[in-house]
Amino acid sequence: MDVGRHPKIELLAYSEVEEVEGDLGAFEVTIRKKARYVDESKCTGCGACAEKCPTRVPDSYNEGLGERRAIYRYFAQGIPSVYTIDPNACRHIAWLRAREEGSNVKVKKCGICEKICQAKAIDYLQQDRIIQRKVDAIVLATGYEVMNPRDITEYGYGKVPNVITAIEFERLLSASGPTSGHLYRPSDFVGKRSIPDHLPHAKRLAFVQCVGSRDKRYSIHCSGFCCMHSIKEAIIAKEHDSEVEAWIFGMDIRAVGKGFEEYRLKAESMGIRFIRGRVAEITKGKKGLPVVWYEDTKTRRVQSEEFDIVILASACLPSKDASLLVEKLGVELDSFGFIKTRPFAPFDTTREGIFVCGCARGPADIPESVAQASSAAARVAQMVMRESRKAVAQ
Amino acid sequence: MNEVERHILVIGGGIAGIQASLDLAEMGFYVHLVERLPSIGGKMAQLDKTFPTNDCAI
Repeated sequence: MDVGRHPKIELLAYSEVEEVEGDLGAFEVTIRKKARYVDESKCTGCGACAEKCPTRVPDSYNEGLGERRAIYRYFAQGIPSVYTIDPNACRHIAWLRAREEGSNVKVKKCGICEKICQAKAIDYLQQDRIIQRKVDAIVLATGYEVMNPRDITEYGYGKVPNVITAIEFERLLSASGPTSGHLYRPSDFVGKRSIPDHLPHAKRLAFVQCVGSRDKRYSIHCSGFCCMHSIKEAIIAKEHDSEVEAWIFGMDIRAVGKGFEEYRLKAESMGIRFIRGRVAEITKGKKGLPVVWYEDTKTRRVQSEEFDIVILASACLPSKDASLLVEKLGVELDSFGFIKTRPFAPFDTTREGIFVCGCARGPADIPESVAQASSAAARVAQMVMRESRKAVAQ
Repeated sequence: MNEVERHILVIGGGIAGIQASLDLAEMGFYVHLVERLPSIGGKMAQLDKTFPTNDCAI
């Protein structure tokens, strides 16, 4: 990714926008650069600190399926390529804070990473920095939130072992994931200090579509991309291991667009089964494995099947954190909670000079997000240049 | 056209924010890209491979 190297891009990662004042052509933005407790200009990203860090916490990049240390890189190829200390996990920061407050120091001091770091980049006393930037226009690309399917109690997420979300499954499939790409059942390794030897591979997979989407109780909209990501995940799992049996349960498969239907047909020809029906319930079977209860609407029978892993295609929802910021900016949301736009100005928000692209304005897959981003960029250029011509004319 | 440097703020370093930033920078704008997580990439960086080519996401 060229963003980190581009001479005309200032990358402010681990930062949040606090306040925006002004209008198109003259916005003043206040940004909080959160303390990494690591000097970005010194850290070489060697990773010696994380190797020796004694504190392990669930890894949010791997959706909690693996562990990381208190000093970490969000993911291996992450840009910027520097380490960050999680202040809520680091023993030494907790010790320093407790000492400063004069409260009972219950934690042991540590300081190992500071000793290990040859670049002298560790700075436990680093503070958040507030910076100001003057900008002509703003693009919101704040993304979406994956629905936590815990609320849909009949699907047993969080209760029935091996019922996981699609994004968790992506991490299981990934060579950079917690299992190095081996498809193991999460119940066999999550929470263990290391992955046991000779684990059985998961062979039977169920993909459940429309989890929270197209469901009046949660969100009525279609999340758009889940049919395709489930098909993709099923194909990849089968490419990993030809013995994998994958079943996709859904009301209908929405493979809309060039190449999409062909992809679905390819899945079918590989032996992936498509079951037309909405899954009613997922229960824990006798062997502790998830059992999917469903009506096959083609045979009009209520049936049940046991699987190794059940993957829930949970809904694409408006991001709650982003909504707080967006409301602070005086930008309106639509009835779904995504950022409001107009049919003939699809990337303009309700506030002049602020634009939007990607899933912040509604569900979009990757190619569509990219196309929208380029469109929004063109729209920004149009507006900013028009304003500057006006200024020159005056 | 005047030669004043124009600055744009992009909030969010996922695939949409990254693409918008690169496009704007290529057009000659100075871009400030804000991402709340320690690294950019967003949800797409968590994906294993992507449709339709099944290429790696990163």
